[in-house]
Amino acid sequence: MEFKTSDGRKEIESHRDGLTFIHGATLVHMGNEIWLEIDGRNHKATAAKVGDTWWVHVLGHTLQFEIVEAGASGTDDDSGLTAPMPGKILDVLVSVGQNVKAGDALMVMEAMKMEHKIVAGHDGIVEAVNYNTGDQVIQGAELLSISES
Amino acid sequence: MLKRTLVANRGEIACRILRACNEAGIEGVAIHAANDAGSLFTEIADIAIPLEGEGLAETYLNQEQILKIAIQNGCDSVHPGFGFLSERADFAQAVMDSGLIWIGPSPEAITQMGDKMTARITMKAAGVPVIPGEEVDGGLEEVLAVAPSVGYPLLLKATAGGGGKGMRAVYEEEHLESEAKAAMREALNAFGDDRVYVERLLTGSRHIEIQVLADKYGRTIHLGERECSVQRRHQKVFEESPSVAIDAELRQAMGEAACDAARAVNYEGAGTVEFLVTPTGEFFFLEMNTRIQVEHPVTEMVTGVDLVREQLRIAGGEAMSCGELNIRGHAIEVRLYAEDPANNFLPAIGQLKRFIPPTGPGVRLDTGVRQGDAVTPDYDPMLAKLIVWAPSRKEALQRMGRALDEFVVLGCTTNIRFLRELCDHPDVVDGWTTTDMIDRLWPDGWNPDLPAIIADAGLLIASACESTNHGRTVTSPSGSSQTPSPFSQLSRRYP
Repeated sequence: MEFKTSDGRKEIESHRDGLTFIHGATLVHMGNEIWLEIDGRNHKATAAKVGDTWWVHVLGHTLQFEIVEAGASGTDDDSGLTAPMPGKILDVLVSVGQNVKAGDALMVMEAMKMEHKIVAGHDGIVEAVNYNTGDQVIQGAELLSISES
Repeated sequence: MLKRTLVANRGEIACRILRACNEAGIEGVAIHAANDAGSLFTEIADIAIPLEGEGLAETYLNQEQILKIAIQNGCDSVHPGFGFLSERADFAQAVMDSGLIWIGPSPEAITQMGDKMTARITMKAAGVPVIPGEEVDGGLEEVLAVAPSVGYPLLLKATAGGGGKGMRAVYEEEHLESEAKAAMREALNAFGDDRVYVERLLTGSRHIEIQVLADKYGRTIHLGERECSVQRRHQKVFEESPSVAIDAELRQAMGEAACDAARAVNYEGAGTVEFLVTPTGEFFFLEMNTRIQVEHPVTEMVTGVDLVREQLRIAGGEAMSCGELNIRGHAIEVRLYAEDPANNFLPAIGQLKRFIPPTGPGVRLDTGVRQGDAVTPDYDPMLAKLIVWAPSRKEALQRMGRALDEFVVLGCTTNIRFLRELCDHPDVVDGWTTTDMIDRLWPDGWNPDLPAIIADAGLLIASACESTNHGRTVTSPSGSSQTPSPFSQLSRRYP
């Protein structure tokens, strides 16, 4: 199983019947509550899944693990096509099927009372437009996708 | 005695005021924009009235609409909270002209304290120490003429100013003329008024504020100080009372000056006088905030006074209920923001999938959200104020650390971990808090100090959760989601 975190990709071997130990941490119980043993002490953890991301709270730290689907390519998302900040879509400048060139403006979004242009990183065809004018988007939301030409 | 109060605010402070109304036997009326329907404060209110329109100007800042709702719903008073319309003298006047009670100081007091030059002159006349300097009314030549008597370094400030506009620090005489021109130009552009004043720039000072309370029966008291120096992007994140920089003698002197300041404008209700305190223990009036403040709980914790309840009591024509005051123990407040401290404190949004606040002795949470709520970019990103009280400052810091460790927020990025590390920082532990400390301590931005074992433990939990489909929610026919019954989970118990 592979996850994306703030400091890169992390892989962990997955066992259908359970993996309970990693370095110094042991999973001792997992029902409605999650209990973990570190250095002989038990600690309660909390986890919740939002979209493809597991949010985990353990020992005062909050971590995010985004699931990377098996077989997915190792390249990161085209960062130019994701929302840099939470905000609102002000304008959609392209439609599905349209040819675009690197540097073309694709969308305009407003975040923190400033306008940001979402610009194509390479030439290609617009494959999907995921949001409409007026939509609120969260940070990191994939706004559109463009085929590799 | 008030009977029905309209709370012209939202979120956390609306909850705070509506709860005080409830406790005092006053009916609380909330107003809310369409995107606040179902928010916590609308549930706490006895009546919740939707506002028409979109955006702040048409809703929470719409004086006419708010006043109309107050009258139509038989309110006898309006509490403005903080922000929004709380320091708008014209709104206070309109409320009073409609025959309702304004829970706050008079429009005259708001105006006098709102204009920096007027406030400065009023304070000087009342014998309250102001920063050495000169009011200037005659343009550039007069600025140049008074500068030598003020001395360097000096600060040029727009009379009508705020938010740092029209403010210029001048360290040497040779830069005075160009900086003065720039300050006046900025002031004219920003406020339509190019008057500036010149004052001494006091470096290495602390921002310390004194809480005051005044009733209609001639009693004006102070409730000690709050130290609010730790700020990021000019917003406070960590506040405490008492301040390590203030001893009983200085507290007494500052408290008396704050009361003099309040009396000079016939102040009524709760207010805060801000001072700049130099390393040598001199103090100077900065400004007066004519409203309840975000950080009021720390004063409540160490004095035992319910400030909002006193506001309601005083506005209703009663005398304040507090007797002789004792400062007891130490209180700290941190502000939980939906923001990413590792990304220059940029606001974050998301759904609060889990929101599990800490409990236990000495812990208080003032919030306007609960689990399941969505954090949107429509309003201020402050989610909650976490306040602790303990017998000593050291114990209060330890308690805050423990409480922050317990606080679980999943689904929206917050500054909890940043606040947690702040509590352990030697400068905070030693009380060396200054307004520039966050930039000074983390000049290249803050990143969490994440032990490898925690990162690994998180990975283990995430993979275990994913492979067991932990805590998945099912959709009930009504569309709302709920946790499945424990019986269906038993068969999937881990491992």
